[in-house]
Parts: sequence; structure tokens; C-alpha cells
Amino acid sequence: MNDIQIRIRDLNFYYGEFQALYGINADIERKAVTALIGPSGCGKSTFLRCINRMNDTIDNTLVEGLLEVNDENIYSAGLDVTELRKKIGMVFQRPNPFPMSIYDNVAYGPRVHGIKNKAKLDELVQKSLEQAHLWVEVKDRLYKNALGLSGGQQQRLVIARSLAVEPEILLMDEPTSALDPIATAKLEDLVQKLAKEYTVIIVTHNMQQAARVSTKTAFFLNGYLIEMDETSKIFTAPKDQRTEDYITGRFG
Amino acid sequence: MDIKERYIRGVLLVCASLSVIAVAAITYTIIAAGWPVFTEYGVFRFLFGAKWLPDADNIQLGILTMIAGTGAVTVCALVIGGPIGILSAVYLAELASKRTSTVIQAFIDLLAGIPSVIYGFWGLVVLVPAIRNYLGSTKGYSVLAGGVVLAIMILPTVVRISADALRAVPKEYRDGSYALGADRWYTIFKVILPAAAPGIITALILGFGRAIGETMAVLMVTGNAKQFPTSLLEPITTITGNIALEIGYSWGLHRQALFACGAVLMIIILLVNFLINRIIRRAAGGIYE
Ligand SMILES: Nc1ncnc2c1ncn2[C@@H]1O[C@H](COP(=O)(O)OP(=O)(O)OP(=O)(O)O)[C@@H](O)[C@H]1O
Ligand SMILES: [Mg+2]
Repeated sequence: MNDIQIRIRDLNFYYGEFQALYGINADIERKAVTALIGPSGCGKSTFLRCINRMNDTIDNTLVEGLLEVNDENIYSAGLDVTELRKKIGMVFQRPNPFPMSIYDNVAYGPRVHGIKNKAKLDELVQKSLEQAHLWVEVKDRLYKNALGLSGGQQQRLVIARSLAVEPEILLMDEPTSALDPIATAKLEDLVQKLAKEYTVIIVTHNMQQAARVSTKTAFFLNGYLIEMDETSKIFTAPKDQRTEDYITGRFG
Repeated sequence: MDIKERYIRGVLLVCASLSVIAVAAITYTIIAAGWPVFTEYGVFRFLFGAKWLPDADNIQLGILTMIAGTGAVTVCALVIGGPIGILSAVYLAELASKRTSTVIQAFIDLLAGIPSVIYGFWGLVVLVPAIRNYLGSTKGYSVLAGGVVLAIMILPTVVRISADALRAVPKEYRDGSYALGADRWYTIFKVILPAAAPGIITALILGFGRAIGETMAVLMVTGNAKQFPTSLLEPITTITGNIALEIGYSWGLHRQALFACGAVLMIIILLVNFLINRIIRRAAGGIYE
């Protein structure tokens, strides 16, 4: 089932005067991992933040074009951003658990969306932590401060926090850049498992990582989406010379 | 270590030690000067006596009414000034544009520069009559008048330090909260304020220190009555106010008792600092270790 969950047409994005994205067209598949690669500053994070409208929190920005999630234009006037972000979770480059207990971190999202029932929260917390492969490590210290966890644990906690609102899509912006190789391997493994149930879009600077975890890869350069295709094709037979140059390490 | 480095180190060490020496010296002087009250008159009678009659034949030096008076105005000041200060800080740090925030902050800083007698005058001319006329206080001089004046006086401290604490909350927390669908208000009250709590509590402790030690302004509006504060509308005397009023003509045991009052004040401040710090540590669950 290769249906399209996110449809992007002629997307332009501006930070004030500065145009960061130029005419992006892309179709993102449901329940698959899409990797975004490209040199620093090419607009990967900007693109990612367009999808859950996180760019709204930055002053003086402008979006043009069409961005549909489940066939609904997410930049249409009446759209409920809270609902959108419930559907689309986000994991950041640096793990950012809140300075509160592990339990409260995971329960944060459900509480935002009005769930108060203790039993229901307990269930969501456990389920999300299990999905993030963190439950076993933290089940005896749920009420301890989350800042006491290791970097890799924190990143999995943040993923659990996103999963607790039962999203359909997970956006991950270089989620392993702050992690050691072992924690990175665990996280990659997790990403692949998550892709069975969620649509995952992951930004990475690590070519091997893109090759290992994703089914589709998109290559960005200077605000343009140069090429997007099956990951295996991008890495073995890219159509565009610039893609080839980048993945073979000739620039970037 | 060559001579020059040793010399410079020496100078710096002396400078750095000055505050330690100052605290020690002042504490020693005050306690030494008041000592006979603790030994001859008795700690218990001094602290828990309700009568202050320094001129009577049967001299009475109980300061409990004044401790209660000081406590009442200080608590009143924190109850009024604390929330206003914290909410102002939220506005400045989270909502106001840079320009608005700079302008308001400048005015708040001006507040800090106003001498306390001026606050006292204002309280005398505006607050005291208002409390008499509108709230049915017989005299107008009252705990409430002192509390309001002090609340305004502690605002600059509370606002500035709280706002700094709020601004220091990492942007990542905000992003994390927004990305989960929380709006600005939810984010401020559930993530940002709790994350800034240790700084905000420091702000309140400093505000408390300022309020408990303030003399002049409070003296002018609280009415100098040595009685327990049974209502916000009744007059009281504070420890500091009483020292200022009586030190000029006092002698003998009376004078020593005033010094002892100073010592009590210092001990209260140290104790509160210590206790609150411990409480925060515990409440914060070791976040900031
Ligand atoms: N808040 C902002 N205000 C103005 N310009 C910005 C802002 N954020 C990013 N930019 C600019 O937009 C362009 C794209 O930035 P973006 O962060 O999307 O790049 P990126 O591909 O994620 O880079 P990296 O791999 O280093 O994370 C860059 O030129 C950057 O300087
Ligand atoms: Mg980026």
C-alpha cells in the first residue's frame, strides 16, 4: 500500500526577505521512512518544520504553495494547529525532555489534548515507552526527573513523548547527531520498527544511516529539492549529477 | 609563582574576602552588643514576651509583637508583590515586544532607585487616607499600608530576576511543547514557569530580604503600635522601625535590647534563606544538581 500521505506542490518558504525553499514538489508515502539529505543550510529543517507548521512560531515567515496531509491543506485558514500537531509528532536534534518526571514528560501531550483520566494516562505512558524501547530501562524510575537519563535514553523518551499523542507521522530532525554509535544503532532500529505503524521523515547527515533506515530519499541543495526516489536508486544510480557528487562526498 | 603573580593573587583574595569579613564583623558586633539581653534578661522572655516597656520601673523587653508585625507586613508584601512581579516578568520575557519590554523594564528599574522615604511619603499621603476612607480602618496606618508599600518596593527585584530566569529557559523546551500541540499559555504555565522556578524562588527570597529589612517607608505608614496584628487594617510596629525610633534616646539594657533586635532580624533572614533553599532543593527533585 503505497498511498500518499503528504503531498507538496510548488512550496516556497521565506524567512523575511530570505527565501529558504524554492518550488518544492514531493509525495511522501504512508508508513514508510523518507530520508532528507543535503549539505548544511540547504533547507532540510525548514522543510520539515513546514509539515507541522512549527515555522509559525518564528516571526516574519511566509509559506506559499500547497501542503496537504491526508488530502487536507494544512495552511488553509480554518485549520486547527493543535490537531495538526497531534497528528504529526516531532523529534529534535538535541534531546529536549522537559525538566519534570519521566512520567510527566510522556503524559504531557495527552494532557495537552485533554486526557485527565489516570488509568488512561498510565496506559498511554507505558505503551509509548514500550514502543520507544525505553520501558524496561525506566519502569522503576518513572517519577524521577527525566534530565537524569543518558542522551540516548532522553532521545527515546522524547520519541515516546511524541508517540503518546498517537500521531500518524513522525518528523525527526537529525535525531542521532547527539548520540554515540550504540545509542544511534538502537535508534535506527527503533525508526525501522516505528515505520510499520507510522510515517517517518528523518533528516540526516549520515549517508549510511539514510541508506540503512529509509525506503525513499530526498536530496536538497540550496533550497531546491534536487531529486527524490527510492533510496536504493539514489545511492546506486542517481539521475542528477549533483546528487551523485554529494553522496560520493565530492562536496557538501 | 613569581612575585608579581603572588602579589596580584593577594590583592584579589583580600577583595574577595572583604564581604566575608564584613558579614562576620557585623554579626559579631551586633550579637556582642546585645549579648547581655540574652544572658541577663533571658532569651525566652525577650523573644516571647508580649510587652515592650523599656522605661517602666519593672522593665519589660518582649519583642513578640514586633516579630509578628514584621512577619505580617513581609508576608503581606510577598502575597501582593510576588504574583504581580512574577506575572510582570512573564509578560516582559514571553509576550512583550523587545521595545515594550525595554521601556517597561526601564521604569521598573527606576522604581528601584526611589529612596524609601519617598515611598513612605506616598504611602502617607495616598494609601493611609485611602485605607481609612474606603476600607473602614480607624487610623489608616496599618499592616495593609505597609504591605502595599513594600510590595511596590520589592517589584524591581522580583521582576528582574524572574524575567532573567524565564529568559534563560532553553528554547528547546518551548519547541518541544509547541510540537506536541500545546498553545502558548499552556507552554508558559506548564513548562516555562516550572523550569524557571528555582530562579523565581531566588527572586522571591531576595524580595523577602528587602521587605523584612526595610525600615523607613514601613515605619511611616504602619502606625507604631506594639500590638499583635489581628487584622490587615490594624497598626503594628516592625523590628526595624522600632530600632530606628528608639536607638537615639536609649541607654543601658534598653539599648542592648535594640541591638539584640538586630541580631534576631539577621538570624531570621539567615534561617529563612536556609530553609527555603532546602525546600526548593527537595521540591526540584535534584534537577539542578
Ligand atoms: N529562524 C531563521 N531565520 C532566518 N533564517 C533562517 C532561520 N532558520 C534557518 N534559516 C536559514 O534558512 C536556510 C535553511 O536552514 P535550515 O535550518 O533549514 O537548513 P538545514 O538543511 O536544516 O541545515 P543543517 O543541516 O545545518 O541543519 C539557511 O540558510 C539558514 O541560514
Ligand atoms: Mg537542520
